[in-house]
Amino acid sequence: MRTMTRTTIALLCLLPLAATADEPVIPAQKYVYCTVCHGIAMGGNVVIAAPRLAGMDEWYVARQLEAFKLGWRGVHPDDAGGHEMRPMAAILDDAEIEEVSAYVAAVSAPPPPLTLDGDAQRGAAIYASCGACHGADGQGNEALGGPPLTGLNDWYLQTQLEHYVSGVRGSHPDDDYGQQMRAAAELLPNEQAIADVVRYISTLGSN
Amino acid sequence: MTRDQITRRHFLNFVGAVGGTTALYQAARALDLLPETGEMPQLDLKRVGRGEKRVLILGAGISGLTAAYELERAGYDCTILEASHRVGGRNITFRHGDVVDEMGYPQVVNFDDEPHLYFNGGAARIPGHHERAMHYCRVLGVELDIMANDNRLAWTQDDESFGGERLRVREFTTSARGFMSELMAKAVNANAFDQPLDADDQERLLAFIKAYGDLGDDYRFAGSSRAGYSSGGFLKHGELKPALEFKQLLNSRFWRMGMHFNEHVDWAAPLMTPRGGMDMIVRGFLNKLRAKPLLHAQVQAITLRDDGVEVVYHHRGERRKLSGDYCFNSIPSHFINGIPNNFSKDYVDALTAMRRGNFFKIGLQMKERFWERENIYGGISYTSQRINQIWYPSHGIFRKKGVVLGCYAFGPDQSNWFERMPPDQRIAEAAKMGEKLHPGYTDMIENGISVAWGRMNHMMGCGNRFEEDQEHLFRKVQAPEGRHWMIGDQISFHSSWQEGAFASALHAVQDLDQRVRAEAGQG
Repeated sequence: MRTMTRTTIALLCLLPLAATADEPVIPAQKYVYCTVCHGIAMGGNVVIAAPRLAGMDEWYVARQLEAFKLGWRGVHPDDAGGHEMRPMAAILDDAEIEEVSAYVAAVSAPPPPLTLDGDAQRGAAIYASCGACHGADGQGNEALGGPPLTGLNDWYLQTQLEHYVSGVRGSHPDDDYGQQMRAAAELLPNEQAIADVVRYISTLGSN
Repeated sequence: MTRDQITRRHFLNFVGAVGGTTALYQAARALDLLPETGEMPQLDLKRVGRGEKRVLILGAGISGLTAAYELERAGYDCTILEASHRVGGRNITFRHGDVVDEMGYPQVVNFDDEPHLYFNGGAARIPGHHERAMHYCRVLGVELDIMANDNRLAWTQDDESFGGERLRVREFTTSARGFMSELMAKAVNANAFDQPLDADDQERLLAFIKAYGDLGDDYRFAGSSRAGYSSGGFLKHGELKPALEFKQLLNSRFWRMGMHFNEHVDWAAPLMTPRGGMDMIVRGFLNKLRAKPLLHAQVQAITLRDDGVEVVYHHRGERRKLSGDYCFNSIPSHFINGIPNNFSKDYVDALTAMRRGNFFKIGLQMKERFWERENIYGGISYTSQRINQIWYPSHGIFRKKGVVLGCYAFGPDQSNWFERMPPDQRIAEAAKMGEKLHPGYTDMIENGISVAWGRMNHMMGCGNRFEEDQEHLFRKVQAPEGRHWMIGDQISFHSSWQEGAFASALHAVQDLDQRVRAEAGQG
């Protein structure tokens, strides 16, 4: 069964630098399924809790697909969205993970809408410590393993921070980056702090 | 013309003269000329010339195919885009070699290549009062067979009652009714009713109660042949089975589920199903349609214009644009948020308020029809375990093999539990549960598939619906947005039934017809 996707004709049209609003990047047929949940051009779909991924860094997308594959993500009983995602990543081999990551990085979509309230000013103060790994402007830092945070849905950032706090994410003993982030998330004392920092992140840059 | 003689058509002509076509159309909607009954409407669409009106139909499920069929008959040009690899939507019959296109867990159907070894993974039953479904089966030449839903010889099993032992449905039902009748008879005799009954009424009521529960002359329930005999009944005097213990009956969940399913308006006997598989309906449509649905065509954007609708789609690595005068859209409501569009906020808010369901089914090819040796020919066994039900095929009786439904799960506790496993494990778990109804069940399984509607490619859900108090939102999504109509079972009060898909498509087709008439100034 697993070989089925591989025998599918792979019309890979990846033009990483040519992605503009007028010339959208078309996913290879076998990766169309990513856009079913994550939205056309990976613009996200809150209704089925699939986050916007358009323009995320290639290395980070690949690392998360690996994390799903290895069972670092998407196995906790309280992680309904992760459970839905995990089999989609588990079916990919290394080359396919590379291809999908390149597609996600190449595609562009409208910026995510703001859906949550929070105090950006208070959030800025909290974010000061986040910036060390994620960059002062949320642009990310590959060397430190900190992904960019701009261009993500606010509701997704909130969910993930909650997951780090509760241990749904970042608890696997082999998931070093996850554990690091989990420790960092413990600095967020309550829901309000999460809402505030998410609001601040939403003001950073544009993707 | 007196006031009484003003017909609705006259009224619309009057409105049209004063307010123009838009007012005319709005008035038609407000008057609700479109029937809302369960009847198959008599369609009398205004004919349009070939090449005059083009309708873009998104999704080749039952609603899209129905719309295309009726519109083509009236002269419209239809283009059907389908995102998946097949036509039919949740009307799907799995046979040898087919693919179950589940996200992350694609499966290939390994049933033997025999006409009777198939599995209806979505829609499976049609009751006689689903007039639209029956109408299309008739006009498309789809042969129907009666399908047993209720089978008193099937099993009921509950982990919390009768020590988890299986019981024949007829034993459970007979005792349950017997006890209820006995209780009612006592109430009558004790004059426990608020309403006074005269002697004749009381006598008739007691007779009714006695017949309902098959009580003895003493109005006690002491077993009944309805439950089957413990021995004899043909060449020897039949010995009745003793009444079941009432407390155990109460403990069982069977009376919450299967025992009364067959009273449900849509599940009451007899039910029907197309001979050879539910997708005979889909084939029937394809035989009649001029437009051939374009497969692997995923919609990328929907743009409403004053004079039409523009749809961008991908097809095998190419991006293409289509324009039509109108658009019928059956894409699941939970995907609309992920597809760029210029719909109004209210419309999108209403669509995204709908909740998706995730029914889950398993189909198992059994190497022998062992249930027939247990006197079960068609119908459903019920269990308190997560598989919920086992369906036995009504067709192919006495053949060597058969495909049974080994699980029909609903909701988070059941569907999500199965969905989280890989397909092989799902079948292994369903097999374990089946053992409690049929010892040796596991060894009978040759192969199987699982159909997780919450994970199917381009579906990710089924049975979309609003909460009870959201009818205003339903009205919003049922009405067109510009020249764009949402269709599908999701736009009906019969979500997850084909009848809902037929009904919504016909409603939209009639609505479009009203508009076209209005635009032509014919009222």
